[in-house]
Amino acid sequence: MMNEERRTFIKKTGLGVLACLGAASGLMTLIPETSLEKTVLPAWDEVTLPGNIRLGMLIDTRKCKKDCHLCITACHHAHNVPDFSHSKDKVTWIEKSTYKKVFPTASHQLQNKEITERSYLSLCNHCAESPCTRVCPTGATFQRWDGIVAIDYHRCIGCRVCMAACPYGSISFNWQDPRTAIHEPTTAYPTREQGVVEKCNFCSDRLVKNQLPACVEACPENVMTFGDLNDPRSDIRILLESNETVQRKPELGTKPSLFYII
Amino acid sequence: MKIKNIVILFVALALGLSASLYVFLQNGSAEKITRISSTHSQHPVSVDSTKCIAKKEFMHANHMQVLREWQQAPVTAGDRIYIAPNGSKFMKSLDTCLGCHKNNRLFCFNCHVYANVKPTCWNCHLSPSETP
Repeated sequence: MMNEERRTFIKKTGLGVLACLGAASGLMTLIPETSLEKTVLPAWDEVTLPGNIRLGMLIDTRKCKKDCHLCITACHHAHNVPDFSHSKDKVTWIEKSTYKKVFPTASHQLQNKEITERSYLSLCNHCAESPCTRVCPTGATFQRWDGIVAIDYHRCIGCRVCMAACPYGSISFNWQDPRTAIHEPTTAYPTREQGVVEKCNFCSDRLVKNQLPACVEACPENVMTFGDLNDPRSDIRILLESNETVQRKPELGTKPSLFYII
Repeated sequence: MKIKNIVILFVALALGLSASLYVFLQNGSAEKITRISSTHSQHPVSVDSTKCIAKKEFMHANHMQVLREWQQAPVTAGDRIYIAPNGSKFMKSLDTCLGCHKNNRLFCFNCHVYANVKPTCWNCHLSPSETP
């Protein structure tokens, strides 16, 4: 009697478990997977994967006028870059230098005088294989999804290892409080504080507003072309294909995203 | 005896169902912060300072956590848009808050002075008392 009761009980619970497993699996297949995901507006879900975009710049040095500094003033004004008179405190995001300084490893022997006397813009190369991001101990200097090498000033501890790693000298250190040397401050971008490094950010702050970098916009001669190097139909790629270009210190393998037409 | 068996069977059914559907429980919660990255050039969001992103009481207690997340996510992950539980979109930027709150020049300072808190925000960002 007792045994039989137990037997029926086990039988029935077994059947019950099977029934609910069946019901659950039926429910799982009935509900489409998409309905369980969070709703996203179609316009917002285009997440850019790293490596799909590589922003770069092409500088046509033939068009660049020697006495014109419009790009430099526009950039430094847009980003509250301090203007220290002493060269040791100097902070720059973009500057003009000589051929020898910008291309120190290129051949200078019997070089055309016109080329050596021209001035060349130098700014952060936003290298694809950037040494500065590899050495940064806090991850403050990092490579973004669109190829821009950016600095998170909140994270920077001012160790200056990135400055030592950068083969182009594109990074500056704030030895003094930069706020004392900003003559025309803009409210559109924050300043930095004493003890952090800073450099060109390819105007990532302006790109989110659908604006071109400040230097590109300020140039009256259209010296600079800005665009995605991974997109074969972009203006920069078309110009790269139709012109002979050079990079700075290409032998180092940093793969700079800045190209020059000499 | 039969009734007892039926009761047990139903209890087993209910337990089994709840166990198998437990995994979906998370999807029902509405108050989660939705994170959607946008590409820089395609969908810009202008700073909207016309309304507050959350209730006053919540911001009183949690503004530091909100600002900490807003400080990191847009920079490192390119995650610039905050979507509030009611669906309105905001740019993850201090400017979103200050766009309205700078009207009171002592907005941040009143409490911070009282609580003797010294945040480092204003070493770089323009505080409500400095903005024109």
